Amino acid sequence: MKMTKFVMAAVAAMVMGFSSQAVASGGGAALEHANIDVTDQEQIRRGLTVFTDVCMGCHSAKYITYRGLMAYPEIGLTREQVDELRGEKSLMSGMISDLAIEDAVVSYGKAPPDLSLIVPGRRGGADYVYSLLTGYEHDPEGKVPDGSWNKVFPGNRIGMPDPLSWLDHDAGETDELKQQAEDVAAFLAFIGDPHQNTRRAIGCWVMGFLLLLTLVLWRLKVEVWKDIKH
Amino acid sequence: MTDQANQSRRNFLYVAAGGLGAVAAGATVVPFIGSMLPAADTLAASKTEFDVSTVEAGQLVTIQWQGKPVFVVHRTPELLKQVDGHDDKLKDANSEAIAEVQQEWMDTPEKRKYRAIKPEYLIVVASCTHLGCIPLFKPSEGRKEWGDSVPDDWAGGWHCPCHGSYYDISARVLNGSPAPHNLHVMPYQYKSDTTVVIG
Amino acid sequence: MLDKIMKTDLFAWIDRRTDAGAIIKSQLTEYPAPKNLNYMWNFGSLALLVLVLQILTGIFLVMYYKPSAEATFGGFTVAFDSVERIMRDVNFGWLIRYMHAVGASMFFVVVYMHIGRGMYYGSFKAPRELLWIIGVVILLIMQGAAFFGYLLPWGQMSFWGATVITNLFGAIPVLGEYIGQILVGGFAVGDPTLNRFFSLHYLFPLLLAAIVGGHIHALHVVHSNNPEGIDLHKPEETIPFHPYYTLKDAFGVAFFLLFYCYIVFFNPQMGGYFIEVDNYVPANNLQTPAHIAPVWYLTPWYTILRSFESKLLGVAAMGGSLAILFVLPFLCKSAVRSARYRPVYKIMVIMFFIDVIVLGYCGHSAPTATLKVVGQIATAYYFLFFFALPLLPKFEKTKPVPEGI
Repeated sequence: MKMTKFVMAAVAAMVMGFSSQAVASGGGAALEHANIDVTDQEQIRRGLTVFTDVCMGCHSAKYITYRGLMAYPEIGLTREQVDELRGEKSLMSGMISDLAIEDAVVSYGKAPPDLSLIVPGRRGGADYVYSLLTGYEHDPEGKVPDGSWNKVFPGNRIGMPDPLSWLDHDAGETDELKQQAEDVAAFLAFIGDPHQNTRRAIGCWVMGFLLLLTLVLWRLKVEVWKDIKH
Repeated sequence: MTDQANQSRRNFLYVAAGGLGAVAAGATVVPFIGSMLPAADTLAASKTEFDVSTVEAGQLVTIQWQGKPVFVVHRTPELLKQVDGHDDKLKDANSEAIAEVQQEWMDTPEKRKYRAIKPEYLIVVASCTHLGCIPLFKPSEGRKEWGDSVPDDWAGGWHCPCHGSYYDISARVLNGSPAPHNLHVMPYQYKSDTTVVIG
Repeated sequence: MLDKIMKTDLFAWIDRRTDAGAIIKSQLTEYPAPKNLNYMWNFGSLALLVLVLQILTGIFLVMYYKPSAEATFGGFTVAFDSVERIMRDVNFGWLIRYMHAVGASMFFVVVYMHIGRGMYYGSFKAPRELLWIIGVVILLIMQGAAFFGYLLPWGQMSFWGATVITNLFGAIPVLGEYIGQILVGGFAVGDPTLNRFFSLHYLFPLLLAAIVGGHIHALHVVHSNNPEGIDLHKPEETIPFHPYYTLKDAFGVAFFLLFYCYIVFFNPQMGGYFIEVDNYVPANNLQTPAHIAPVWYLTPWYTILRSFESKLLGVAAMGGSLAILFVLPFLCKSAVRSARYRPVYKIMVIMFFIDVIVLGYCGHSAPTATLKVVGQIATAYYFLFFFALPLLPKFEKTKPVPEGI
């Protein structure tokens, strides 16, 4: 019996992927910096609104529950606000899109990725999300229909139709759309690791303590080692 | 500098290092032991909804709340009558001994006796307060149905098979039982006429 | 402190039954350590610290981790979900998981420094050959444990890393196919693989703990080498391990924790080196990530593997590059230990360290024609270093070694 063909094919595909990666077919334009602040409750809440109004049409974020919207102080919605958002869904439910995955596959050709971990799960993180949302352009070669060509997306051809209607927006709307893209990037960056602010806060104390401990142990070592004649 | 000054500085540093080391060790224990406490989703999943109208008259249904069994009994007027007349045999007739056997709404002697918001529906934690077994429901009076597993003046209630604790039909523990307390009453409220939210 | 404890009645009671006093004397308070050890000798105790941290954090993670590749909503799996639950819902779960993930990388940082120190100062040479060999066994078990552990979150890198590495064994003639199946437990990496890797990931650290005991025992028989690489004969050249080296190690531990905690609290992914970006994407057996490379600590060996056109040769070379570490004490024939007194060896060994870093860089980067050639040259030097060692005494003029320290 042969070692599975699947594994062979996978490795072959990978090796080919290696060799062709350098000449990958376009995409991956330089990312623009997104001004986000994962401690800014207002920005995160604005991002949440963009997320529920726009993204959740297709995407889910299953690891962030409606309960989480109340429990994390960085979002800090009230019970009433959450009840309005969730409708019939349970408080314990993740933020699941009403669009069934099978239907999305029929409509857009692939399952919309879950967005809970989209920021840690993409090179460039929040900058990538921001640049992608504001990266829709007309295909310079005119082959890809409008709304499916993105300068940031690997290979340029993207299944997600221009969610913020970035293409052909009025000059006056630019700032507002950029703001929306940044806000949702901030929200997604926050939910990617919802304890990150706690982590950094505890980290400051830990580092301060360890500096003191290191200093004391260093002086103690020097003191005791005075016994040794070199 | 003298040897003595050196020695005292050395001692100070030893004590400082030891103290800081102890703090470090203590602080390290916190997250590890903390991680063994119930997780946030476990705590949040601590409410159970139940429709009491699904319990037929005279019947007992065991449901789950926070992974623990909970008795819901539909007490008929006959069963409710069995609550009276044996207060002297009870360890804690008024359910006052510990916080877990009472609730805020138990503000009248009547409610303390029936131990239920609606007397016909008794809802209690189904764990014997002795060592946590689930008592057997033996509602009818006397020994007719239960043989000598119950005392001859049995007023109806529960009998714990593990170590022989007895509870009356309001889940109050009888004298002579190894169980120290009445079955616990957990917080609950009626969301509608028949839907109760436990927790 | 220790002497006060040793004077108590309780200690006397224990001592009569365990001989604890004699052990403490022979292994700590009267254990002779060279007085001139530099800070490169701190990495042994740091490795022990990280091993303990890994076992401790691992035990607590297992309380919530579920090794199952069963699909859940949105293309995730039970295993992936359980890791996210640890990160989000378990009290301090994020801390324990980051400590474990960062600890895995820091373990290799510390152990590679420890190995490098051993090579530079000739600590592997007689009479410490077996001590070195036990150390190589520890390295291999560590790499195994790290590899098994990397599958557990069941992300894209977990899945494809396991696929590629289990597939390597297919290159071994005759037996390869069966070894691959024994590792995978099916026709492709899947639920059975996850379960057995979980089991082995728990087993290997226990083996490590036992073998580390052997490593320390072997050390205490032959005693520490020192930067001069000479045998010590006079009592004034050594100092008791306790308190001098216990305090020096304690200082080293605190200094190390500064770095470790900085990464854990402020940069746990370490720019994708410690926790790779693609591992935040759930495993998908129909799509290989565009950039796939092993975690940084395995990349030097990955480059050696990739440097050969023939798969069998690549696998053999990779295996050989690890196996050759076992015979290092017998390849190196010079009577002088420390590189301080071996001018040619000193250049060779420093180049070897740079070479391993170059190998690691090549293995981590997407392959280009240039990098492939660089990788092949680096691979050649890796082996050349070892094969040149037996010839070295024929032309290397060593400097005079000091009588004592």
